[in-house]
Amino acid sequence: MKWYRIKALLLNYWYISFSSADRIFDILYWPVLDVLIWGFMTFFIQGLSDFNIINSIMGGIVLWLFIWRGSQDLVVYLLEFYWSRSVYHLFISPIKKIELVISLGILGIIRSLLSFIVVSVLGYALYSFNVFNFSYKILFFIGVLFIIAWAIGLFIGSLVLRFGTRIQILAWSVIWIIQPFSCVFYPLSALPPWAASIASVNPLTTIFESMRIMIAGGTVELSVLWYPLIAGLVLLALMSVVFSSAMNSARKKGRFAKPE
Amino acid sequence: MDVLVVSKLVKKFGSVKAVDKVSFKVKKGEIFGLLGVNGAGKSTTIDMLSGLTSPDSGTIKLFGKDFSKNQEECKQRFNVATAYYNLHGRLTVWQNLIVYAKLYNVKNPKDKIKDLSEKFMIKDLFKTKIQSLSSGERSRVVLVKSLLNDPELLFLDECTVGLDPDMAEITRDHLKQYNKETGCTIIFTSHYMQEVEKLCNRISFMNKGKIVSTGNAQDLVEELQTQKVMLHFSKNIKKAQSLLRKREIIFEQNGKQLIFHLQNKKRVVYPLLEEFIKQKIPFDDIHLEKPTLEDYFIRQSRQNESSEEL
Repeated sequence: MKWYRIKALLLNYWYISFSSADRIFDILYWPVLDVLIWGFMTFFIQGLSDFNIINSIMGGIVLWLFIWRGSQDLVVYLLEFYWSRSVYHLFISPIKKIELVISLGILGIIRSLLSFIVVSVLGYALYSFNVFNFSYKILFFIGVLFIIAWAIGLFIGSLVLRFGTRIQILAWSVIWIIQPFSCVFYPLSALPPWAASIASVNPLTTIFESMRIMIAGGTVELSVLWYPLIAGLVLLALMSVVFSSAMNSARKKGRFAKPE
Repeated sequence: MDVLVVSKLVKKFGSVKAVDKVSFKVKKGEIFGLLGVNGAGKSTTIDMLSGLTSPDSGTIKLFGKDFSKNQEECKQRFNVATAYYNLHGRLTVWQNLIVYAKLYNVKNPKDKIKDLSEKFMIKDLFKTKIQSLSSGERSRVVLVKSLLNDPELLFLDECTVGLDPDMAEITRDHLKQYNKETGCTIIFTSHYMQEVEKLCNRISFMNKGKIVSTGNAQDLVEELQTQKVMLHFSKNIKKAQSLLRKREIIFEQNGKQLIFHLQNKKRVVYPLLEEFIKQKIPFDDIHLEKPTLEDYFIRQSRQNESSEEL
C-alpha cells in the first residue's frame, strides 16, 4: 500500500467535489434541511414531554450524518469513475483495492466532519444544541458509526461493481431502509414488536439508544458498546471480502474495460 | 530481452471465445503492431495485458515477471493510451494530469506535465475541462497521461483516432523519438495501415481471437504474392483482351486500360509483357502497383469471412 496513491485519489475527489454543485449540496443542503425540518417539528411537540426532545432529535441528526455520509460518499465517488468513464484509466494504474477503499473511507470522514460542523453550528444557533455536552464517549460512537457506514458502503459498492450503474439508485436509498430500524429519532420501546425485533439486533440501535441515555443524563457503560463495535467490525470484514470478490469478478467479466 | 511473453492466453465471454490461445513475444525496444478487424480480439488482449481484465487461462510475463503476481510493480512500469476511454470529463486537463502524475509518483510532476504538454501541443488547454475538448484534443491529453510515468512499455490502442493528419504525423514522430531515446517497447493497434507500416517493426494479425500471421510489414505483404498491373492501349485493345483470356487472366477494362493481378514475381510479369511485344500489341503505358498492408488486411478479413460462410 502506498500513501502517495491514496493522496492522489483524495486530490481527485477534491477536484470532483468542487467541480460539481451536487457534491457540495450533499455536504450542506440536506443536513441543513434536516436540522430545520426536524428542529421546527420538535419545537412543536416539545410540550408533550419532559424529555429534552430537541437534543435527542439533534443528536440523532448529528450521529446519523456519519452513517449517511460515510456510506453514501463511498459509493457515489466510486460511481463517479463510472459516470465519467475514467474507470478504465483508474484500473490500469497501479492502484490497489485497499488504497481505493481507504481513500473513499477518508473522504467519508472529511465530508462527514464538514457536515457535522455545519449541523452543529446551526443546531447551536437555532436550538442551543451543544455537541460538547456529550461525553468523550461520543467519539467512540462516531468511530463505530464509521465502521458500520463503510461496511454498508462496501456492500453497495460491490453491487455497483457487479451490476454497474443501473443499480446506482441504491447508493442513495439503501441507507434510508436501515434508518427506521435504527431508532435514530425514537426509542426502541416506541416500535411495534415486529419492528423492535429487527431493531434490537441492529448494532446502530445500541448507539442511538446510548446517545439518548446520555442526553437524559444517564451513564453509558462502555461494555454496552462492545456489541455494536464487534458487529461493525465483523460486518466490515465480511463486506471487504464481498467487495474484493466483486472487484475480481468485474475484472474476470471485463466490466472495467467495457463500462456502461 | 523479451519485455512481454504471452503464452496460450484465453478469454471467453459467455460462449464467445474473444481470445483463443494467443501466444507471442515482444522484445525490448520493439514497436509491435496488433492488427485485425473489429472484434478480432486485439482490445481484449490489450485489456488482459494491462490488467484490466483477467484471463481465463494462459500466462503473461512482463519484464520477466509473472504479471498476475506482480501487478503493482508492472503497472508502475507501463501505461496505456486509448482513444475510447476518457479521463474525468468534469475535471480540467491540468487536474486530470496532476492526479495521474501523483498516482504514478512522478518526480517534479508539474515540470513533467508542462514538458510533455508542449510536445503534444496541449499547453493552452490546461484550464479546459475534458468534456469541452474535441476528440483529437482528448486523444492528445490521454497520450500525455500515458507518458507521465516514463513507461518502459506502452500500449497504444488506436490512440490516433480523431487526430487530423498533421497531428497524427506529429504524434507518430514523438512516439518514434520516445521509442528511440528511451528504448520503450510499444504495442500498437490501429486501423490506419499506413501508420502501422510506418511505425511497427513487427506485426501480428488477429482474427477470431487467434493470431493468424506474424512478421514485418514487408513479409506479410509479400505473402500476398500478387501485384496489380495496369496496361494502357491506344489501339488493339481487343487483341490484348484475347491474349489475357488465352492465358486465363481475369481482367477489368477501364476505358483503354486493362487492369489485372499477377503473381508478384518478375518471371511472371515480364514474360507476359514480352508476349505483348512479340505479338505486336503495343501498350503505351504500364503501371505496376505493389500490394500494401491494407491489401493484406483486406485479404485476411475477406478470407476469414468466406471461410465463415462455408
